[in-house]
Amino acid sequence: MNGSVRKKKARKVKRHPTETTNGAVPRRRSSRRATAQSMAASQRDISVSEFFAKNRHLLGFDNPRKALLTTIKEAVDNSLDACEEAGILPEIWVHVEATGTNRYKAGVQDNGPGILKKQIPLIFGKLLYGSKFHRLRMSRGQQGIGISAAGMYGVLTTGKPVKISSKISKRKPIHYYEIQIDTKINKPEILNGRGNGVDIPAGPKGETWMRKHGVEWVSRSGEDPENTSAKEVVSGTRVTIELEAKYQRGRGSVDEYLEQTAIANPHVTLHYLDPDGGYHHYKRSTEILPVEPKEIKPHPYGVELGRLLAMLKATDTGTLSQFLTSSFSRVSPAVAKKICSTAGLKVRASTKKIGRGEADRLYEAIQGTKISAPKTDCIAPIGEELLLKGLHQVVPGEFYAAATRPPNVYRGNPFQIEVALAYGGTTAAQRITKETLNELLGETDLRTLRQFLIHTFDGIGSDAAERILKEADLGNRLSPGKLVVKQIDALHDAMRNVNIGEGQTMNVLRYANRVPLQFQPAACAITQSILGTNWRPYGLSQSRGSLPSGPVTVMIHMASVWVPFTSESKEAVASYPEIQKELRLGLQAVGRKLGMYLRRRIRVRQEGERRNIFLRYLGEVADAVSEINRANRKDLYDQLLKIATKKTAEADVKLDSRGRPIEEELDLGKNVLIVDPNEVADQLSAK
Amino acid sequence: MAKKRVKTGVKKSRKKVLRQSTGSAGSKTKRGSSQVSAKDRKTLGELVSMADQVVVAARRRRDPHLDIPTRSLSNVKFNRRKRFIEMGKNTNRRLLFNLSQAKSYMQTMLVGSGCKQLIEQGKNTSIRGLYYMLKHTIEGTKENTFEEQSECDPVIEDVEVLLGTLREELHLYADKRGEMVGNLKLEDNGDLIDCARMGSGGYGIPSIVEPNVIKFKKCSAKFVLHVEKGTVWQRFNEDKFWKTHNCILTHGAGQPPRGVRRLLNRMHNELNLPIFCLLDNDPWGYYIYSVIKQGSINLAYESQRMAIPKARFIGLRSKDYERCNLSPSVRIDLNDNDRKRARQIMGYPWFEHKKAWQKEINLMLKNDFKLEVEALISKDISYVTEQYVPDRLADGDWLD
Repeated sequence: MNGSVRKKKARKVKRHPTETTNGAVPRRRSSRRATAQSMAASQRDISVSEFFAKNRHLLGFDNPRKALLTTIKEAVDNSLDACEEAGILPEIWVHVEATGTNRYKAGVQDNGPGILKKQIPLIFGKLLYGSKFHRLRMSRGQQGIGISAAGMYGVLTTGKPVKISSKISKRKPIHYYEIQIDTKINKPEILNGRGNGVDIPAGPKGETWMRKHGVEWVSRSGEDPENTSAKEVVSGTRVTIELEAKYQRGRGSVDEYLEQTAIANPHVTLHYLDPDGGYHHYKRSTEILPVEPKEIKPHPYGVELGRLLAMLKATDTGTLSQFLTSSFSRVSPAVAKKICSTAGLKVRASTKKIGRGEADRLYEAIQGTKISAPKTDCIAPIGEELLLKGLHQVVPGEFYAAATRPPNVYRGNPFQIEVALAYGGTTAAQRITKETLNELLGETDLRTLRQFLIHTFDGIGSDAAERILKEADLGNRLSPGKLVVKQIDALHDAMRNVNIGEGQTMNVLRYANRVPLQFQPAACAITQSILGTNWRPYGLSQSRGSLPSGPVTVMIHMASVWVPFTSESKEAVASYPEIQKELRLGLQAVGRKLGMYLRRRIRVRQEGERRNIFLRYLGEVADAVSEINRANRKDLYDQLLKIATKKTAEADVKLDSRGRPIEEELDLGKNVLIVDPNEVADQLSAK
Repeated sequence: MAKKRVKTGVKKSRKKVLRQSTGSAGSKTKRGSSQVSAKDRKTLGELVSMADQVVVAARRRRDPHLDIPTRSLSNVKFNRRKRFIEMGKNTNRRLLFNLSQAKSYMQTMLVGSGCKQLIEQGKNTSIRGLYYMLKHTIEGTKENTFEEQSECDPVIEDVEVLLGTLREELHLYADKRGEMVGNLKLEDNGDLIDCARMGSGGYGIPSIVEPNVIKFKKCSAKFVLHVEKGTVWQRFNEDKFWKTHNCILTHGAGQPPRGVRRLLNRMHNELNLPIFCLLDNDPWGYYIYSVIKQGSINLAYESQRMAIPKARFIGLRSKDYERCNLSPSVRIDLNDNDRKRARQIMGYPWFEHKKAWQKEINLMLKNDFKLEVEALISKDISYVTEQYVPDRLADGDWLD
């Protein structure tokens, strides 16, 4: 097509060469569209809020379904950060409620320290306002965009203000605000109490007021808020945002986020009331708070030239040496001296006099000087024991292994990788109840049944989906919403009965600073590392360039003072070589243990088969022999049986497949949990 | 009688006693009779001692095992003096408690028990019959004792070599194949048969031709001509070749079954008839000749009563294409398998030192084609009976 167009043009030019040149050039010259003056009139500040209002996908508000998730996620993350910082064991209530078609009210409350009255509007109503951006400390939130952006999204889509209630101690009142964000000036706008908010007194009086004015507040901890004997919630914050959203279970849903959060945060109790009235309770499995992470100064290696310049400008220290030692970690006066001499600068040079050229040299010198890696005690990993506990609590399986790698550093930022793995058990698809399946079928907007199975359930690949549909005798292309009761029954039976273990792919749970990452798996360094690891030696089958298959769940946690996300919506970890290396080593560590476990399992099964083969033929041999020489069949059979058991038992201990002696006990080292498969079944039926 | 090759640790003394009583084994085995002959008693003894071993091993908590003489080229020896293949002393141990051998051990015992029943009831059956007799589903599984007859046949041969008994002593016979016609009168199971009056069909050679079944009565023939297959035999019979040349005509429908080989052996030894073979000019034909002459590798333990070291090969020869001026259309190209087989046969110890044979096979390889006996029909329908064979016999032009 291109070619033909060009040809046409060429022909035209040939025919009327003068006409075209005469026609086009003067017009361009004569009519300037805008002048520098007229353009200047429209050049003005862009408020951050405005920018994000237009580019909401950058923050994870691309579609209504994700918007709901992002809102809850930001609120929960903030709550957890606040609780942990204050040293309170977190208890979180999440209420999602439908208020109209495609409209939901999301409320998240914690038992955290609460927020001072004057800070509330700023925190929830101003973008890029927060405590976490300017420090290097391991926390869930980083920039201070999340919750205010969620509020802004809510206001934009429904016009309803963000409602915040916060209480800082037992006797203090609850501060109640209704806030809107003014996108033009990036400032909060308080709507209630004539722009000052309302203070609700503590005690029964306040409760009556709240009930009257429809202010939501959970005042008792535990499962039942009406239970007056339960512990009172003495402090905490609740944020309620009404927004245009879509509630749908399955992959990338609120339910999934909360479940995964529970795995990585075994010290958190979660109460979740879903829009359909279902109540989910994730009880904490440990009473110990994670170690408080320390705040650190940046490491010289991780600082870019621009940042260095800004820091030089902002510093109030006098000499270069002082600046270096006080602003960075791991820079002693000796190191500072070395950096200065490499850069050709005086140690006592005034920071005020450092220009661009000097700063450039200084930057080069920093990169060239050997500086010890930053302290890594600023990271609080989950720990192998709690990883096992958390995973075991939520993912049913028969084998669990966990590995916490020693901390490492990328670009001057300390980080630590933790990997946990669960093998076996049944998948969510097999545990599903008929009611849930019914609801899921009604909710989905996927067109075909096959897509529905693949996208709604973790661990069902196209292979497994096809097998399930074949078993249920249903067509691939049936619409999920149009199934009759009989067909749903058939589908349900098939999902329970078909062994999807074979066609199942590894289920990957990614975490950064204890926050589950649910989107963009392909762009994430974690997924790439799993793909890049060869799982075949560990007993899993894996086709080239894809996830290994088998009933496996792998959970990977990256803890760092600064997690390098690929985008502001915090969905994927960037792949730095150091991070990739640690990921690989962590995966290999759990992989080896899985391999040992699976090999032993195979061997035990083989022994069983061996014995079976002998037993199968012994009867025939005894029959034949007694037929020939009239020997006592039973005696002979019993004797042969004894030899058979002795033989196979000997083989059990003697040699493995490589001809090496086998130890009686399987030594998998620490941090492995093996569950009797029968127990797994019990656990499931109990659920 | 084949040499005893039971290496199963049976008490020697018992075996000796049994062997002594075999001499008078006459024609006492009567169909349907439940009376057990001395020969059968001996076979039964062998079977029982095989079973006894299992009981003894089981009582001592040992691995029950069977040492079965190896039936492969590696375990045969060409006896230059006797000029036939003898079985070596190698044995394969078959263990019950070995994953890959457990099933065949069980099958060996089953065949033993099957034969025991046959002997006790005084009945005979074909090997296919025995396969059906023993085939059943193993209790508690979906597995059969034997899936196919091809699984059963080698086990029967194992039992034969293991006990050092003959197939007929186990009351088994192979499917009969092969026919005979000629100037010979014999008695078959009491019936008098004149092989010169068998019409166009000929006398079907039974699979058991031991003296207790077949007795030679009168023979006026001067030699035996053994041809490879029925079609050629039909040609010779129709042309009454056996009448004009006063001989006996046999065929074995390809590789001759035991009955045919044993009968040829008996005619050669008891009636002093020279044996001439007319076979195809291809590796298969050479091997048939080799089996008739030296015995087969698989049944090396029976060579003693099967092999005819003096048998002669009169055709077809590699040079016949040119000598008889055959048309190119009758040639069949050799394939890789043929060439491989030919080289293998050249290497056999009993062909290795025979220059004429080396020359013969080399010529075939050089020709790179093979010839069937039927190729001679392209000259004239009766060329083979009226010219080819009489000429060769008159000239004494054959390979030994």
